[in-house]
Amino acid sequence: MTLKYLIASLLLFFCSHSIAQSDQGYLIEDIPMPEGLDPETGGIGFLPDGKLVACFTRGEVLTYDFKTGKWDVFAVGLHEPLGLLVESQHEIVVLQRPELTRIKDVDGDGRADVYETITDAFGLSGNYHEFNYGPVKDKDGNFYIALNTASSGAGFRDNPRGPVNLAGRDSTSGRKQMYSVVPYRGWVLKITPKGQVIPFASGLRSPNGIGIDEEGNIFINDNQSDWVETSKFFHIQEGHFYGHPASLVWEKDWDGRNPFRIPVEELNQRRTEASVFYPHGIMANSPAEPLYVKKDTQFPQFEGQWLIGEMNHERIIRVMLEKINGEYQGACVPFQDKGGLRRGNNRLAFSPDGSLFTGQIVHGWAGAKGIQRISSKGKTILLDIQTMKLTPNGFEFTFTKPMDAKTVTQIANYHVRHYRYPYQKKPFNEPIDFSNQEDIQEVTIQKIRLSDDKKTVTVELPQLRKGYVYEFKLEGIRSQDGSLLKNNLICYTVNQLKTN
Amino acid sequence: MAVFVGLSIGLLVFPIQAQTPREILITTLPGLQFDRVQWAAKPGEKLKIIFTNQDDMSHNLLLVKPGRRLAVVQQAEELAEKGPEANYIPNSPDILWSIPVISPGQSASIELTAPSEEGAYPYVCTYPGHGYIMYGVMHVSKKLQTPPLDDDPDVPDLRKEAMNDHAHHHEPKDHPFELVPPYYYRAFMEGSGLASVAVRLPQRLAYCWDAGACKLQYAWSGDFLDNKDFWHGHKNAYAQVLGEIFYRDQVQHPLRIGNPMLLPTVIFKGYRLVDRYPEFNYLVNGVEVFECIREKADGTGLERRFRIPYQLEPIWFHFSPNDGMSYECSSGQLESKGIIKLSPEEAAEFTIIMTRATL
Repeated sequence: MTLKYLIASLLLFFCSHSIAQSDQGYLIEDIPMPEGLDPETGGIGFLPDGKLVACFTRGEVLTYDFKTGKWDVFAVGLHEPLGLLVESQHEIVVLQRPELTRIKDVDGDGRADVYETITDAFGLSGNYHEFNYGPVKDKDGNFYIALNTASSGAGFRDNPRGPVNLAGRDSTSGRKQMYSVVPYRGWVLKITPKGQVIPFASGLRSPNGIGIDEEGNIFINDNQSDWVETSKFFHIQEGHFYGHPASLVWEKDWDGRNPFRIPVEELNQRRTEASVFYPHGIMANSPAEPLYVKKDTQFPQFEGQWLIGEMNHERIIRVMLEKINGEYQGACVPFQDKGGLRRGNNRLAFSPDGSLFTGQIVHGWAGAKGIQRISSKGKTILLDIQTMKLTPNGFEFTFTKPMDAKTVTQIANYHVRHYRYPYQKKPFNEPIDFSNQEDIQEVTIQKIRLSDDKKTVTVELPQLRKGYVYEFKLEGIRSQDGSLLKNNLICYTVNQLKTN
Repeated sequence: MAVFVGLSIGLLVFPIQAQTPREILITTLPGLQFDRVQWAAKPGEKLKIIFTNQDDMSHNLLLVKPGRRLAVVQQAEELAEKGPEANYIPNSPDILWSIPVISPGQSASIELTAPSEEGAYPYVCTYPGHGYIMYGVMHVSKKLQTPPLDDDPDVPDLRKEAMNDHAHHHEPKDHPFELVPPYYYRAFMEGSGLASVAVRLPQRLAYCWDAGACKLQYAWSGDFLDNKDFWHGHKNAYAQVLGEIFYRDQVQHPLRIGNPMLLPTVIFKGYRLVDRYPEFNYLVNGVEVFECIREKADGTGLERRFRIPYQLEPIWFHFSPNDGMSYECSSGQLESKGIIKLSPEEAAEFTIIMTRATL
């Protein structure tokens, strides 16, 4: 094909290139963006040859060559692409507003020439908030995508795609709740290699960010409000319902009821609780894509954990999980705050050299634009809480370094509270982002013990309570080498208790 | 009597005028914005700021010392776990007045006496994340002066652009490359399904193809699209057609296979680029169809090239004789008014030429 408008060397806006040394010691670099691009990043990934590939909300898919510092055009004209998955050097899968699309460069000139619809078998009401997230792919080649519900702040258009069911809207109190009037809004869909679409899990509100671990477990960050007033990290399992009722109307053999009028106890019984709560306004306001920390990254101390982009803060969060009574639960803690990191952290990916990339977005909210790279400086491991684990009567913190016994065993250095986020229908007059921590109480530590290797601290608390977030702020705690613990706010969600 | 009334007004009203604060109404716009981002007050003027939250999110309003807006936003962030209970209002000497977090539909007000010192006193919402884009400024000035919006560092950039739209008619660069027709956007388009493609052709022509109904919906000439609201993404916006629509499809679907009256079932499969023109691929009653639409070389209409390579039955192409276009077909025959019949061999590749009748 001709390349009349392929820009071989897009002008680079080099003056935006800066390197910041964050307090924590990670290097944070801006990836220079080409002039003329509105860098609202919907998806990022890496091609087998090491090039960065990114899609942006005005429909471009661009590639960036680190060796030459040049951006090239791979595809254009897409409808709000908010996620991409690299299949090969010449092929990517992009989730657009109306469809999941396979985009191929058949003639090998670096520019896409074939766009194949993998599926468009889901509804569109035309409401602006019906964003689509993903895909991720499992070992069997199935794709998973997540569909946002419609915003209570706007109606739907007069030519929706798919059958309309108004029972997916809270007709008892107007448009106050996010709604699902066309199929599978609020669902995760599984798309088989043959293109069959299987409704997989329901009960989501704003599932901006889907991730998969190496065992094939799918996790989603669902943004707060309506029923649980804080953002959540869900382990997505087939057939499970995650609490926002609108999507239930698209369940097979649904009995026709308006799910907003179903007694809360009935909904509550069906629902699967979040693995981790992100306390709203404290840890996060709008968590986005979760990225599993695989082997061979520049952050080996966190292998097997998750990194989470946060949109409204200059922050990336880390989530650590453990299985208690067969269910995932765990804690969230900042991974990187400020230090040159921008807001808007929407999409995360590891580059071939193991550094972390974050693609940023605004899209009408409080974010930022562009792409940044976060790398560790050499092999230095920074002081962090490596893991926080539940014990029968408290928690066990393991640090990345041997700790200073004096500061780490001082009870006064630990500020502990617990609170909970009940499942309830949000009162009509409450704002979308109102968050109510119920039963906030200070918790007094009874005993602290430091392990012989000085890396693990065991904290004993009074009777632990199920369904509560345990928030720890660790102040003035140092390692033996004198580093101060900076990522010192950590919140553990106790769904299950551990018995001896 | 008249004198008495006059006196009483003089006695009673004058002191009230001196003490009644001037009301400043501030509300919200979608996308984390105050509706008023710049206004003026006199030094020492009594004011009542009435803040109404019409958004769907929570907001507070902090009026701060000159130059301290960002510092206060950062102090609010440092509240960390104490933020929610403090209404995200830090304990700071930089804050002059504040309205705590209010919910949608709620109003709250503060009465204040404007500072005696002239200057720019910013106000900002310090709800997490909002502070970097949601702010405005009170200019304390003896002459009630405000600087030009574009030069005011306490006015969000977004608002400067928005307010200057009418002043600038230059075409902003939308992409990091030049757009040379043909090119296209998938977008929400009025008068078409929610999965649509707007294609820009040479000769200042354009068309909208409906990827749900699998057909050409309309065509226009002149300027192409205004994508500003559509790209902003925070409302139910469309990409706006800028030119003159000269054609609208008036048949339910132009192609019939097997039976000229049978309305077909269609499935969209995608498209490939041929000389950068999209060639759409779809199924009509299970039969694979390719359709590529180009401009007529003289700019008077469209050339629609169809390929239906793998089928055994005749096909019919329907059009409305009253849609303002004249039709020619490269093969086949006019079977009746508005219906062209093609044999399977003819349908393997044929071109429909649509010419604007009124030109």
